[in-house]
Amino acid sequence: MSYIVDILLIAVGAALINNFVLYYFVGICPFIGVSRKVDMAFGMGCAVTFVISIAAFLSWTITTYILKPGAPLSKWMAGLFVSPEVAANIDLTILCYIVYIFAISSSVQFVEMYVRKFFPALYKSFGVFLPLITTNCAILFACLTIMSNVAGVDNPADAWDLGRSLTLAVFGGVGFTIAIVIMAGIREELELCDIPKPLEGAAITLVVAGILALAFMGFTGVDSGLKKALTPETPETVQVQVIQTNQNLNISG
Amino acid sequence: MADAPTPYERFIQGILPENPVYRQLLGLCPTLAVTNGLQAAMTMAGAVAFVLFCANIITSLIRDLLKPHLRIVIFTLTIATFVTIADRFLAAYMYQMSKTLGPYIPLIIVNCLIICRCEVCASKQSVVHAGMDAIGQSIGFAIALGSIAAVRELLGTGMLFGISVLPSVWPDWVVMVLPPGAFLTLGLLLGAVNWYGMQKQDA
Amino acid sequence: MEPMKSSTLERIRNNYVVQAWLVLILAVCFGGSLAGIQLALGPLIEANKINETLQKVPEMILGAEKAQKLPENKQLVIEPQTIEITKHNRKVFYNVFKAKYPNGRPAGWVAKAIGQGYADKIEILVGMDHKLKKITGLFVLDQKETPGLGNKIITNEWRKQFLKKKTATPLSVTKEGAKAAHEIDAITGATISSRAVCSIINTTIKDLRDPLLKRAN
Repeated sequence: MSYIVDILLIAVGAALINNFVLYYFVGICPFIGVSRKVDMAFGMGCAVTFVISIAAFLSWTITTYILKPGAPLSKWMAGLFVSPEVAANIDLTILCYIVYIFAISSSVQFVEMYVRKFFPALYKSFGVFLPLITTNCAILFACLTIMSNVAGVDNPADAWDLGRSLTLAVFGGVGFTIAIVIMAGIREELELCDIPKPLEGAAITLVVAGILALAFMGFTGVDSGLKKALTPETPETVQVQVIQTNQNLNISG
Repeated sequence: MADAPTPYERFIQGILPENPVYRQLLGLCPTLAVTNGLQAAMTMAGAVAFVLFCANIITSLIRDLLKPHLRIVIFTLTIATFVTIADRFLAAYMYQMSKTLGPYIPLIIVNCLIICRCEVCASKQSVVHAGMDAIGQSIGFAIALGSIAAVRELLGTGMLFGISVLPSVWPDWVVMVLPPGAFLTLGLLLGAVNWYGMQKQDA
Repeated sequence: MEPMKSSTLERIRNNYVVQAWLVLILAVCFGGSLAGIQLALGPLIEANKINETLQKVPEMILGAEKAQKLPENKQLVIEPQTIEITKHNRKVFYNVFKAKYPNGRPAGWVAKAIGQGYADKIEILVGMDHKLKKITGLFVLDQKETPGLGNKIITNEWRKQFLKKKTATPLSVTKEGAKAAHEIDAITGATISSRAVCSIINTTIKDLRDPLLKRAN
């Protein structure tokens, strides 16, 4: 039950409260460039959601099994060459950015091949955007968020599993789609308006995006409210299990 | 083919006429994200300058060996490596700033600005051209980030670089340091730069 | 047919090898430089992460002025510990620092706790005396509250309300002005952030009271 609540909170957070475009500022280039028509915007949003999910799956798997400190596969491979104690400390997180960007490029290639082969009509309508998605910050941002929740947590029990990572990715894409479709709808109306010459193009889009971001700020706090509403107030039973002591450390001023 | 721009021309172009943010509209993600304080903005500009310079130099050195369909892979690999180096340096020597900048340093990898410069300039011209281009674009980027950060920090907190500038009666326009303020500032400043460009054209 | 096939084969092989060698060489060079960076800077980064919390510990236990006046040879001995608690059928970990005077006398405890604030998670350090009767310090490590409003939880003015509060009664937040011993003044316009910090402190004390008292020696 609490797992479902967690997933729900991550979903609402990624899609509405901490919207990728309007709060974290990732994915701005397609947001400004592609948001002229609603159907193009929707197509872009769907493509991004699709690629984000694949990239998130790849990056979670690679981080958990190869990159993070003490990951099983690298530990086993290093164990073939060096002693087990040294192998247990193996930490490949310095390679994570390179690995992620290549995972993203390959997911984009894969999605492009798949769409071109099985959905040729779809490919014609938005196939040209697919290579552009490689440089979409939103996808790398999703991978980085997943990495910081898998490898960057203090306690191993808090590390995200595949379900939470995929939820973040999919609903981050959904939030991106919502933002870009709203922006496309507004821009279609703006074309009939009398905009001052200096502000035409990207400038007015950014001002409208600012007002949209202001509107989305209204969602702040929805997740803590939801959490309170959905978590049952059971009497807590606190049991102490294991206490570990690390080595002493002296502080010198 | 027209004469390729000289190093000096590349340098001057990068600062204002082909300013990466105001004219080419590249690299908007960090521009909006880290400009709520001048210190963070300047650190980000420094990191981008380092990555752009090194990537341009390396790409220019190997430009004769690049095959057409593998060049994006090589650009990406080079840029990702230098971004990792920059990120580690920041975490080691400026830990607080690295925490403030957070995920936006690794996002330099997908910053269209750097790939664009590698593609347009470094893969076609010599090391000197590439180096001057990198320096020019970096200065332009720093000017853009600095202008936006100055406006946001001044109106949002009354401070510049963390030092109080406005008198304490100033009611902080908190929205300026929040996401909506970023969009509004960039949009209006972009409008201002466009207006200035149009005035110059008419004159 | 044979000669043509082998020359086609040659061409294909040449192509792939010639193309891939540059990528491979670059990958090896870059990989080597990254390994070097990791070796050189890794320890520094780890030290930065640890010092971020460790440096605060004496301040949390003794208060800012006394901690600064501690002479070199009378520094506190700090022992990091991890305490695992099961509640609501989930395992929760706490990072706790036990501080002792050089002569072995216990000085107090500092616990790191995370909880949900108004906008995002708030991470705090709570200092307590060694019998966990009073709060001796509070520091906000990480927060993303609204600048100018909830952000004020990091100011010393607001945090010093918590000093010397007794832990026996849970703290609560009031908007009118704190009168009772267990009340804290909320920040004007940021009631939720203030409540969040109090609730994190209350939960931490409730969870850790028994385990830490058992380890008091």
